[in-house]
Amino acid sequence: MKSSLVRQALVLAALAFVPGLVQAIYFGDKVSWRSPVPASEMVTVTRARAWGENAIWVDARPDNEFARDHVPGALPLNEDRWSELLPQFLAAWSPEKRVVIYCSSEGCNASREVAHRLRKEAQLKDVFVLEGGWEEWLKTRK
Amino acid sequence: MAQDEEMKRTLISDPHLNPLGAPPGRDPGEDAQHPVRVVSKIVWRIVDVIVGGIFIFAALTKIFDLDHLIADLGHLHLGSIIVDFQNLRLADPVQFANDIDNYKILPWPISVGLAFYLPWLEMFCGLALILRRLYLGGLSILTGLVAVFLVATIAAKVRGLDITCGCFGHASQNWNFPTHLAIDLAILGALLALSFRVVSGTADDPEA
Repeated sequence: MKSSLVRQALVLAALAFVPGLVQAIYFGDKVSWRSPVPASEMVTVTRARAWGENAIWVDARPDNEFARDHVPGALPLNEDRWSELLPQFLAAWSPEKRVVIYCSSEGCNASREVAHRLRKEAQLKDVFVLEGGWEEWLKTRK
Repeated sequence: MAQDEEMKRTLISDPHLNPLGAPPGRDPGEDAQHPVRVVSKIVWRIVDVIVGGIFIFAALTKIFDLDHLIADLGHLHLGSIIVDFQNLRLADPVQFANDIDNYKILPWPISVGLAFYLPWLEMFCGLALILRRLYLGGLSILTGLVAVFLVATIAAKVRGLDITCGCFGHASQNWNFPTHLAIDLAILGALLALSFRVVSGTADDPEA
């Protein structure tokens, strides 16, 4: 029974691999295998800084972390107080400005989520996620 | 000669040695036709179909963009359902990859790979339960998947991660943690019951 179980499980695992592979090929150019955010929606600290006044910096970290320190001029916009903070952000936003969103580090998820919601709910276009987040910004500040 | 006859009688009458457990002189098929056994068999088949159906539905919600279809089915907008089928398209696997990535257990490339692979695995295993082909393999894979998912969900909760289940695509995005847990435990319970039935030998040939 044990060998039969293993054999059957292997057959099913192999069967599922085929359509999965076909689907992966179909979505090949639409999905990034290297980062959750497509390269076109990421921005480095150096590049974002070069945008100067044409960029709005958005801090997606929790309020206490924002209060401790943040990128000069950055606006807080996190999911905990989304409905409260979004109008403040939109008041400062203008169509010609690019939005640069950051959270704690490379591994954090908040900046991605905020970017996704700004594109979807607020229909904004030039929205970018900062590579390496706050940690990376701190490194380049020194 | 007499010793051979004695041994034969022992083999037939011993329920441990005789897998059918039928007493000597009784038709083995007679036991299988017993009303209790027939009802039990039907009930277990229903459990097979329900559990298999849940996994097929879960897979379909991840493979296809079923948002409109589910909404129209829910509101009984029968006229729109045909249109929904005509406009059916493959769902964006990035959403499911993000759901897996949110658990912060696996690196992103593996999350993407699983986003393509897991729905099809669920689909084939669900079909295995319903069609009773490769039954043991399907049952063991699904039990393993749900167990791993449960542990990962609890671990994520303990670590304070705000995770989205993604188990039934958009349909499950607003479920809270207790709802996730209750549904997953119920599914795991059903899978374990099916497994126990096979292991204990009370099931008929699962492939029959």
